[in-house]
Amino acid sequence: MSTPLALGVLAGAVLSGTSLLYATLGETLVERAGIVNLGLEGVLLIGASTGFAVAAGTGSAWLGLAAAAAAGGLSNLLFGWLVVTRRANQLASGLAMMFFGFGLSALVGAPYVGAVIAGLPRWRPAWLAALPWVEATTLFNYDLLTWMAVPAALLVWWVLFRTRWGLGVRAVGESPSAAYAAGRNPALLQYQALGAGGVLGGLAGAHLSLSLTLTWAEYMTAGRGFIAIALVIFSKWNPVRALAGALLFGGAEALQLQLQARGSGISPFLLEMSPYLLTLIVLLLWGGARRMAAPAGLGRTFYGSD
Amino acid sequence: MNWKPLLLACSLAAAPVLADPPRLVIGAIYVGSVNDYGYNRSFHDALLQVKQNLPGVTLLEAENVPESPAAERIMEGMIQQGARLLFPTSFGYSDPARHVAKRHRDVAFEYAGDGDAEKNFGVYFGSTQAAWYPMGVAAGRMTRSNKLGFVLGMPIGYAVGNVNAFQMGAHSVNPKVQTIVVVTGGWSDKAREAGATNALLDQGCDVVAMHVDSPATVIQTAEARGAMSIGFQSLEARALAPKGWITGLGFTWAPFFTEIAKSVMAGKFRSAAVYQGLGGMVAMAPFGPSVPPAVQKAVTDSANAIAKGFNPFTGPLVDNTGRVQLPSGASMGADQMGTFNWYLQGVVGKVK
Amino acid sequence: MVETLARAGRALLRHALVAAAALAMFAVILLLAHKDPLKAYLDTFRFALGSADGFVELVVRMTPLLLTAVAVALPARLGLINVGGEGQLYMGAWLASAGAFLLPGLPAGLMLPLVIVLGFLGGALWAALPGLLRAARLVNETIATLLLNYVAPLIVSYFIFGPWRAKGSSAYPQSPLYPDAATLPALFGTRIHAGLFIALLALLLYWLLLEKTRWGLEMRAIGGNPEAAQRLGIPVAGWIVLALALGGGLAGLAGMGEAMGVHGRLRQGLSPGFGFTGFLISWLAGGRPLGILVMAFLFALITSAGDTLQITQGLPFAVVNILLAVILFIVLARRPAAGGGR
Repeated sequence: MSTPLALGVLAGAVLSGTSLLYATLGETLVERAGIVNLGLEGVLLIGASTGFAVAAGTGSAWLGLAAAAAAGGLSNLLFGWLVVTRRANQLASGLAMMFFGFGLSALVGAPYVGAVIAGLPRWRPAWLAALPWVEATTLFNYDLLTWMAVPAALLVWWVLFRTRWGLGVRAVGESPSAAYAAGRNPALLQYQALGAGGVLGGLAGAHLSLSLTLTWAEYMTAGRGFIAIALVIFSKWNPVRALAGALLFGGAEALQLQLQARGSGISPFLLEMSPYLLTLIVLLLWGGARRMAAPAGLGRTFYGSD
Repeated sequence: MNWKPLLLACSLAAAPVLADPPRLVIGAIYVGSVNDYGYNRSFHDALLQVKQNLPGVTLLEAENVPESPAAERIMEGMIQQGARLLFPTSFGYSDPARHVAKRHRDVAFEYAGDGDAEKNFGVYFGSTQAAWYPMGVAAGRMTRSNKLGFVLGMPIGYAVGNVNAFQMGAHSVNPKVQTIVVVTGGWSDKAREAGATNALLDQGCDVVAMHVDSPATVIQTAEARGAMSIGFQSLEARALAPKGWITGLGFTWAPFFTEIAKSVMAGKFRSAAVYQGLGGMVAMAPFGPSVPPAVQKAVTDSANAIAKGFNPFTGPLVDNTGRVQLPSGASMGADQMGTFNWYLQGVVGKVK
Repeated sequence: MVETLARAGRALLRHALVAAAALAMFAVILLLAHKDPLKAYLDTFRFALGSADGFVELVVRMTPLLLTAVAVALPARLGLINVGGEGQLYMGAWLASAGAFLLPGLPAGLMLPLVIVLGFLGGALWAALPGLLRAARLVNETIATLLLNYVAPLIVSYFIFGPWRAKGSSAYPQSPLYPDAATLPALFGTRIHAGLFIALLALLLYWLLLEKTRWGLEMRAIGGNPEAAQRLGIPVAGWIVLALALGGGLAGLAGMGEAMGVHGRLRQGLSPGFGFTGFLISWLAGGRPLGILVMAFLFALITSAGDTLQITQGLPFAVVNILLAVILFIVLARRPAAGGGR
């Protein structure tokens, strides 16, 4: 009894897309505040390795999760010190963070490679399992992070668009001087956005090591950080749209694996390219509109001399 | 009584015992981490065993060495530190290792792969293809859905051969069975391995086998969804699947490595191309708790037949597009195991 | 004269202090990992700078870095951000390989120029695409070049597993060895290959372009104020595409050099981050040619240290990225404004 392709892809998309979503949410917060973190890949790796190391060392995946969140937050704050306080070039600082993440995660994770952990527990309510086909798949059999994915996106949206703090963050992203004139503290707001974004990034990394693969390996994020950066643009800096984007990207990856399992003739390499090409095409088709949607302050760094 | 001659005789007799054991610095480079419950661990464990067998051995190891000219640098560094026997433990080290071997004719190399042996460059590997046949027997007997999943890192000839033998063995005890192959594109992409395993299980497979560097992710993902697994690379992997473990294959390099080390110590290193199968460099893991005795017997009988020389790669063999790849009466030898570019009938997948 | 020397001396002192601070911080990390920093540094020093082998290694590592750094520096003169060095590198190697495999019979006199041109073209076209997108104000070039970084290695993999797969007993996925005519000649009988000349030539041409031609002035004008430049009649859009294409072409040459000078065949994993490292080198050097030379040397030295650390200290090679990052942090934290362009 095999699962219909659509369900299989959906199931794979949700699992694969969870870490993408959290990474995108974190980066959305940060970019709304006017900062680009090209080092997101490094933050994810730090989260994944720290989470795994603590989980393996203490035997508790929950402690690992907390540690990953903290490590992600601290990493982003370090990045914040560079770009906010020291006003360093954001792109160069981001790449520096990426290298830092490569190295630190390797160092932290090295003693724990091959450790076997219990991983984050998964639940599936009985009534959902009773739905046709669901039982045999991974659908609705999720850990806390995946269950909280939609609420997390909604929460980030609500914080950004319905709270005073979120208004301040967006104001800083549009124009730090205007925000300052209005009585806000731009630097503080940016630090706060970075901290929160970092926590989300740490969780994103942790999902990979503590739930999806239950291992740690160097560079295991395989470019998810950069995909998330593309996703932020894809979703017009809107956390709820990020849900669709993460599903789409997770789905593209799941699609190529599911097609193979059905004996498809498409080369795996061509299938692997599809998420990246898809992003480019989407950006191409809707690029103009997206530029208008970017926080104006972001433009200065991102769009160079425009 | 004159004690002197007696003392002299005693000291002369004691001399070999008191003398230092012959010293040898061995260097090994790994493409991944030695804690991977898989490929790299098998070499690491074997070399530790060599250290135990031969007390004069010092071991230098480097993990996560890329399969690129950077590896040359690492090997040169080890030679500078006194290494006289090097183990480049992955296929991809062929070019860099051969370059270094040319520059240091006084250092012995044992390369895990194929190709020509050179004066100071031996090649070896475990012939796993035939050994996958009894694994197929085990899977064919244990499956209820008649669908076997195989997570493959890269569709290289040897790996494709493994899949073919697996399907052959399964088919021999269960004509309705099919093997579905999903390629992850790399030997160590954990997230993809999880996704591939899930995709196979979604398709109804209830037994999963793999050829990737570390079976850990595949086995754990399968175990979490209640599927059975057949391990590969390291015999220790069974610890990861207390319920679903059927059996597995692992490499036992230690006896071969010890021989080589001894020959280098004695200055008698002779390079050669050495391939051993089941019973030599390849061993079968113990059975898991859920395997019934009848199945165990069938598998063990099959393994013994292989060890005694039964060659499953005998014609007629038809590929999964219907073409006859091996006519009746012909057979493929161990030296052709790297040439597979077709899947056997009953395997769902494409080699390219 | 004295003034210049004094300035140079101060600059040297600054750089030395940065290096010292970075080494000190990295030493702390090494200590925390229960390793001996002094021994680590001595070992590195001894091998990298004290032995012929080590020096050869440094030069081999520097060669692609010089090219990928200029690949970033050139477009940066216009304010363009090219983080696509990785992808451009792969496409240069790919197109050059295509030439070598499609016309294997060519004599060296024709083959070498062919692969060099193709290497340049492969990277140039791969960067021209983002250039066009940027010039048309559709997609920001930072994102476009970044995304294409992932597509290029997959294209190479497709060909290595498919049409260009080496037949024969070794079933490992890689192309066959290039025809001898296509292999870059080795210099002094070592691993240093002719790609070094190409890299140094590129650096020289870059310097000439910037300092000595009117185009260099035009580029700087655009970089400073694109609107004004446009009003002056300078074809900004054309310049955007051209600058990115030129930069990409240089990265493509780096790829060609690695494939035909170092590896001898096309395979996966051609670039351990050369593109990104080039970006950082260019940024650290402020896009200046001499600075690029110095920084490329420094980065080559550090990655060499990584190997030594792994052998002698048992640390994962990736840890050397921490040292790189620390150096960058120090430099980033020191400069109050962007260092030489965005």
